[in-house]
Amino acid sequence: MKQNVHKTPNKYVQSFKAYVLDTLSWAYLALISYKIVYEKIIIDERYPEFTWNQPLLCLYIGLALAAVLFFTKFSLGRGLFGLIKYDENEGPTSQPFAYIGYLLILLTFITGFYVSQISMKEFLSESGLEGAKRIFKALFNPNWAIFEEGLFAAIETIYMAFIATAVAIPIAFVLGFFAARNLMNGNKISFFLYNALRAFLNISRSIEPLVWAIIFSVWVGIGPFSGMLALCIHSIASLTKQYSEQIESIDDGPIEAITATGAHPIQIVWFGVVPQIVLPYLSYTIYRWDINVRMATVIGLVGGGGIGNLLMQYQGQARWNEVGMLVILIAAIVWTMDWASSKLREALK
Amino acid sequence: MLEIKGLEKVYPNGHHALKNVTFSVPQGEFLVVIGLSGSGKSTMLRCVNRLHDPTGGEILFQGVDTSKLKGKALRKIRADIGMIFQHFNLIPRKTVMENVLSGNLSRTGIVASIFGIHSAEVKAQAQKYIEIVGLKGKEKNRADNLSGGQQQRVSIARALMQNPKILLADEPVASLDPATSHSVMQYLKKVNEELGVTVICNLHFLSLVRQYAHRVVALKGGKLIYDGKPLEINEEWFKTIYGEDAVEVTIN
Repeated sequence: MKQNVHKTPNKYVQSFKAYVLDTLSWAYLALISYKIVYEKIIIDERYPEFTWNQPLLCLYIGLALAAVLFFTKFSLGRGLFGLIKYDENEGPTSQPFAYIGYLLILLTFITGFYVSQISMKEFLSESGLEGAKRIFKALFNPNWAIFEEGLFAAIETIYMAFIATAVAIPIAFVLGFFAARNLMNGNKISFFLYNALRAFLNISRSIEPLVWAIIFSVWVGIGPFSGMLALCIHSIASLTKQYSEQIESIDDGPIEAITATGAHPIQIVWFGVVPQIVLPYLSYTIYRWDINVRMATVIGLVGGGGIGNLLMQYQGQARWNEVGMLVILIAAIVWTMDWASSKLREALK
Repeated sequence: MLEIKGLEKVYPNGHHALKNVTFSVPQGEFLVVIGLSGSGKSTMLRCVNRLHDPTGGEILFQGVDTSKLKGKALRKIRADIGMIFQHFNLIPRKTVMENVLSGNLSRTGIVASIFGIHSAEVKAQAQKYIEIVGLKGKEKNRADNLSGGQQQRVSIARALMQNPKILLADEPVASLDPATSHSVMQYLKKVNEELGVTVICNLHFLSLVRQYAHRVVALKGGKLIYDGKPLEINEEWFKTIYGEDAVEVTIN
């Protein structure tokens, strides 16, 4: 039996959140209006001065503006938290507070344009186009002499990704049960374990495999082993999360039924949980291998071995015909893996 | 056989599902529990085999208070109590035979059960129960490919595999069509009469109650408000149990 406790949101807490949101959005508006729109666009200052007083001042302005406008219809926070009453027929998009939102998006767009240093002049410059032409020409004339070398590196990449996935599977399989809320919320100890594991997984997942590869290439040396370790860590974290989410979405019925037969908790998991998750698990795992092969090529760039390593070497020597060969090989691998994995996953449905 | 004394259940969210429920069930009886949805019928059944933990009162099963048992002792009691469910709750992607064999898990070692090792004797027993519920020839079919009525019969066979002293049935026919409902009820009756298993069954339809029950108890808002013979439920009692606006629907 499911028991969902619906808490009605506290009005004062909501108002406080709305005020914080208002303050932050006004402060942000004030900051980018000054730093980008005024300094960069209007007076076109090349090296604008930055002091920490500027954002601090903007925060004060934000606090003040939010305080003044909080009870008007221009309070974005109150609008978003549903504290402003308006005509249902009009919808939220035409309300005054929505215009504040539009202004935020517009100014962010302008800021982004300047920060990215978008320049048509550079993009279409004579010498630049000449260089691009040279590279593209070389890419379309791959050097087939290194085909063999590239192929062996590619095989290394595929196997490296396979081993990274294979090592991650049993670890993620076991951890998946401990990271599933519906299995772990029975008592305080297991729930603590669940929270600790979740926090650990979130941290290790938020570190990109590229960063892991850099760490491991220092640790175990440049080569496929460091790449494999990097992919493995990332795969464990991702697979555990996907596995545990699958466990959380299963039907409680079979678990109840197996429990009612007087089965041991391990038997309950094996007969009540596992049959419901086998196929989705396989599907996720194949997809993970697919992703790992793709990532393995990138990881090679920072010393993780395989075809990516080779690519970086030739790129560093500006040998574009060789780079062209490797790009073709990588495209072929990615396309094949993508196709094979989608076919396999379809067959498993 | 089973004595329930002052049973209380308060859910963590504060919902008071059972209020001082007391009744007893003698050996071999076919007891039906009626009441509106949310009256506490399912909660009460689940307290008996401790799928839910009662918050007060006693449940004496063959003289043992089950409400405080833990671990191995609890699993042993559960093995003596079979249960079937509204949505059958079979193991998906497994065959009829594997599902029926899962009723024997409490007497199978963990490793043996994971590798599917069962003695010839146990397999013969499973075969016998599959035949009793009329599913001979379907042993190797996937259970989730069968019709609703057949799935419920598989779940009866699974419960019988426990060799239960008592069988709990939680709305066993609520997701079946009328004809199939009668067939499943007939099998429960057979289990009760021929194998001598005590049955406690939650039901919605009064027509089924009159046909199959030896005795009826009714719950309303978590309280026991009726305990007697099925034929003694007259118009007045009906209105009390189901509310003033209720109209009796028959199922034939």
